[in-house]
Amino acid sequence: MKRARGGDNEEAPRQNGSASRRKGEQQQSDGDNSGGDFGPTDMQDEDNDPGLRREIRSKYRDLINSVQQNREDMLSLSNNKLTEVLEEANKLFKDVRQAREAALDAQLLVVATDLGKEKASQLFAEGTAFDVSAFTEHLLSFMGLNRLEDGDNEQQNGGAADGYLPQDAWHRVAKRAEGCFRASPSFHYMMGSFHAEPPPPKQKIERQRKAPSKEAKRIMPTQLKKMEDSHQETTEKEVERILGYLKTYYQDDPTSPISYYEFVIDPRSFSRTVENIFHTSFLIRDGLARMYLDNAKFPCIAPVEEGEVEAGGSCSRKQCIVSISPKIWKELIEAFDIRDTLIQPSNTHNE
Amino acid sequence: MTQRKRLSNTQSSSQSKRQPSSSVPLEEEDDSTFTQPSTSQVQKGLEKFTPAQVDQKTAEVVQFFLVRDQKKIPVRRADLVKHVVKEYRNIYPEIMKRAARTFDQVFGLKMVEIDAKNHMYILINKLETVQGASPVNSPANPKMGLLFVILSVIFMKGGVVRENLIWNTLRKLRVDAGEKHEEFGDVKKVVTDEFVRQRYLEYGRIPHTEPIEHEFRWGQRAEVEVSKTKILEFMGQLHEQDPESWTQQYREAHAMSNSTQASTSSQR
Repeated sequence: MKRARGGDNEEAPRQNGSASRRKGEQQQSDGDNSGGDFGPTDMQDEDNDPGLRREIRSKYRDLINSVQQNREDMLSLSNNKLTEVLEEANKLFKDVRQAREAALDAQLLVVATDLGKEKASQLFAEGTAFDVSAFTEHLLSFMGLNRLEDGDNEQQNGGAADGYLPQDAWHRVAKRAEGCFRASPSFHYMMGSFHAEPPPPKQKIERQRKAPSKEAKRIMPTQLKKMEDSHQETTEKEVERILGYLKTYYQDDPTSPISYYEFVIDPRSFSRTVENIFHTSFLIRDGLARMYLDNAKFPCIAPVEEGEVEAGGSCSRKQCIVSISPKIWKELIEAFDIRDTLIQPSNTHNE
Repeated sequence: MTQRKRLSNTQSSSQSKRQPSSSVPLEEEDDSTFTQPSTSQVQKGLEKFTPAQVDQKTAEVVQFFLVRDQKKIPVRRADLVKHVVKEYRNIYPEIMKRAARTFDQVFGLKMVEIDAKNHMYILINKLETVQGASPVNSPANPKMGLLFVILSVIFMKGGVVRENLIWNTLRKLRVDAGEKHEEFGDVKKVVTDEFVRQRYLEYGRIPHTEPIEHEFRWGQRAEVEVSKTKILEFMGQLHEQDPESWTQQYREAHAMSNSTQASTSSQR
């Protein structure tokens, strides 16, 4: 809202100039006078009075609204409301100093011009002007409006001219209007049209409902069978199998540590080695086995005793990623001199 | 001024309607799916089909029109070709000619192209309805009454009216566009959608209005189907006034009825 004062000084005369142009001859002297009357100091004070500006805008909006809402009344030939509105606008415009208010004035002018155009078109009409309200009154009579009940309804409906229209009111109009239409009589089957379509959708719905349920039943068992063979199950089996190996080796000689590498490496198959590492990791994760480094800093693995499980849970857990490549695998086989695998491949894999 | 201009417009458009063949080459550009075959092409095409086949296809077109006419929605040439004419499209003009003849001679109807640009056809009754002597005492469609009131107001107001005038008029007749009417249902939809699709009314936006306002005009179907003279007669009857006292409307109605009479007589 704050503007440079210099800007206002420049703007004000411009607005007044445009005002005299826009308002036409009758307003010209007025516009020029007001432009001349105000010295720069006056304008600075008045231009920046937000209260006054707000009031002007509000009045303009009221004026525009009243014009738009009372359109029908304003168009009536019997009154001068349009002139009154324009005079009111002229009064308001005397105080307009800035573009924002001037824009509203222009908006009002658009609305007023539009009304003026319509009023002018009424003047062009030759002969009797068509009065819509008279037309509706006559038509209501034609439709058989029962005006005797006017009195009662007037009280109920707050003065709105009301009456009782018979049931067939619009049929009467339609009947009379038929003569004005050269409409082709519409063609209908004497026994009604052949409704071939409604039944099939019902059947379709039933079929669609039944069909998927049958299929679903058929599919369900096969899905379950597959579930049993799923990877997760085989993994669990393998993990348990390996735990069994670990436990037996440990029980054979609890004092000697089992080397992790000797345990997981299958010297005949790299992929088996990877699988063993994978399955062993589950034992570690579930706390069924633990790993530690022996004196030579080689990783060792041992099963966790039943009683130890809970104690192990409280220990701080550590994670590590075991990586292995065929090259490392070969090096490890040589280094540990692994001749045979400690974990025998399961039967399913041999088959 | 504007009214006189509009009058000449409608006259020129009705002229173009009566002679669609003269303006066909220009308007064909709009119809990308179908190009009107030439006379020689039609001749060639006719050789491919037996007379019975052509008659059968013509009967199908006639039936298509009759069924479509139940809802008074104009038939588009594109739909006709796509759904009925199909592989007979190269003899389309011949089939249409025969269908028009059937309507004329068997049903007493006239096939009219109301939109030369989009190629839309309607059927109108060739026979004059005799006052009060309707052979079949069919129940009147109340919507026709509603339409009649709207068309009358538009005509009497010089051809164009703002929608507010229509809504206000209807409100005085106990029909509120905002409420569900027991006879018409959603009045606003019937007036701005159904009547517009049937081409009885044109509903368009008035440029440069804030908030947006719309105006109504007579649609292409109304121009050929509805008699302005008879509307004016009814107005005179209602107001107990001589129809001629509405000088301008009387002149327009008279010009129209003369031209349509001329066109119907030339058909016979």
